[in-house]
Amino acid sequence: MSDLSIGTGTTPKARSKRRLNWAMPVAVRLALSWICLMLLVGIFANYLTAHDFAALDLRHRLEPPIGFGGSPAHLLGSDELGRDVLARLVISIRMSLLIAFGATLIGAVLGTTLGFLAAHFRGWVEQAVLACVDFQASMPFLILALAVLAFFGNSLPLFVALLGLHGWERYARITRALTISAGAQGYVTAVRQLGASPWRLYLRHVLPNIASTLIVTMTMAFPDIILLESGLSFLGLGVQPPLTSLGNMVGYGRDYLTRAPWILVAPAVVISMTTLSISLVGDWLRDRLDKTIS
Amino acid sequence: MLHFILIRLARALLTILIMVTFAFVVLRVSGDPVLALLSPETPASVVEAFRQSWGLDQPLWVQYLRYLLAIVHGDLGQSMRDGRAAVVVVAERIPITLLLTVPALILNIAIGIPAGILAALKRDSFVDRAVMTSAIAGFTVPSFVLGLLLVLVFAVELPWLPSGGAGSIQQMILPVVTLGVGGAAVLARFTRSAMLEVLGEAYIRTGSAKGVAWRRVISGHALPNAAIPILTIIGFMIGNLIAGTVLVESVFSWPGLGSLLVVSVMSRDLAVVQCILLFVAAAMIIANVLVDLLYGVLDPRLRGTGRASGGA
Repeated sequence: MSDLSIGTGTTPKARSKRRLNWAMPVAVRLALSWICLMLLVGIFANYLTAHDFAALDLRHRLEPPIGFGGSPAHLLGSDELGRDVLARLVISIRMSLLIAFGATLIGAVLGTTLGFLAAHFRGWVEQAVLACVDFQASMPFLILALAVLAFFGNSLPLFVALLGLHGWERYARITRALTISAGAQGYVTAVRQLGASPWRLYLRHVLPNIASTLIVTMTMAFPDIILLESGLSFLGLGVQPPLTSLGNMVGYGRDYLTRAPWILVAPAVVISMTTLSISLVGDWLRDRLDKTIS
Repeated sequence: MLHFILIRLARALLTILIMVTFAFVVLRVSGDPVLALLSPETPASVVEAFRQSWGLDQPLWVQYLRYLLAIVHGDLGQSMRDGRAAVVVVAERIPITLLLTVPALILNIAIGIPAGILAALKRDSFVDRAVMTSAIAGFTVPSFVLGLLLVLVFAVELPWLPSGGAGSIQQMILPVVTLGVGGAAVLARFTRSAMLEVLGEAYIRTGSAKGVAWRRVISGHALPNAAIPILTIIGFMIGNLIAGTVLVESVFSWPGLGSLLVVSVMSRDLAVVQCILLFVAAAMIIANVLVDLLYGVLDPRLRGTGRASGGA
């Protein structure tokens, strides 16, 4: 539900401001810095810590972080098997971001394609796509996802594909509506008259014209997917050990909530900060690029 | 009005049918249910007998019809864990879950709507920014993180409340708050933008221009008109609330539908999972029908059409 807007109530005064205002509020700057930091951590995960994220060190179990009585060897402490929390955190960030990127892309490609198909063929194809959109929008996705996991079991590719199914209906709905309205504009008629194939028409001409709306939709779907991934992994039904993700760390750290809260505090903070940052940037982008989504 | 209700009912049945078919298809595509249940060393004759006793040797469409017929009769199979009827296993958890979701929904509405209205009326003030900032925070912090945080503060550091289990009012407080806060954040954000939209309308200006008291303009003109989009979002929130209970019940070991779903998914107790799926679909449909009927109450223009024009 991240597509709720903070400020859709556009007053005439705001509307008359033609010039795009690209000056960033401080909060958005901070959010962007946090996202960049997370991306860098994800990319350079392997070089950031001296420890292997799966290496056991049973003599140094449940060590607190530095500053809370811990040693510099484990900056953020160690978990119940003596694994370095910082190393696991870094690898988890990479895993969660990779899954979220993969799933967002799958959802966007699937939804956009279905939206184009609906707008191109109209008739029963459109009705079928819209029926699926309605169905998807009416069921809580977490429940459907759990059912699919129960039926098919779990593996990483399936898990990513499943998360990709989340939110496709938004892209489909937007693409269909925008493509239909683009069809009434001159450029689509011109390109079609020049003999372009539907592929060329949609990918080279319509897609670039609706891309900004789709990108805003993606920034708003991304935090949802991170929340969904971490939720499922938290329940033990997402990413499976020995792999680790942020939700996974919180889930396993829960058993040591009283004795070693640092195991779950670090990943919990990262999840919250990341979804918060992306939401802030997404809202800001929407206000700048596209006021039509609300 | 009758026509309207009939159309809603037909749609509801169609959705249930799609859900049932979805469960059937996914169940069959996911592999041979017999091999999933029995160990690989089971002799072939036993496998065959099992297949026959469950009707799995019939053609697919016969299986589908039988399956539909069984569901119409309320037979949703047996739980593989304790052999009782899946419907019973699921049904006995429903009141336990409602104990969380109903207070949480009330909390959502009681916090979310006033906060949103306040933020809209005091637009760009300190109150507005405070409400919106906490709304974004409440909405981006995952419920399980919030839940664990609350446990850490109110059950571990300050031993005021129990950290989990069910049975007493004290045990309800933390899960209900956890469930309620996220929804309240969404609702506050949405109420604010719905109110701002309405406050920009001409009839509000007319009302205040002709000297109607501001309080009366808000309660008599702005709120009833903002109510329709707010109602739409409350309808959507029921779905979020159901999804939220899965995580929150898991955090607080609350023995409701959500915990049952997680356990059943882990042990691949398919009959129970499918049964929960149908119950959730039914709950969503009932919620949607209620919302649609309320639209008719709130806005006489929508009574004939059976569809809200100004939805989300």
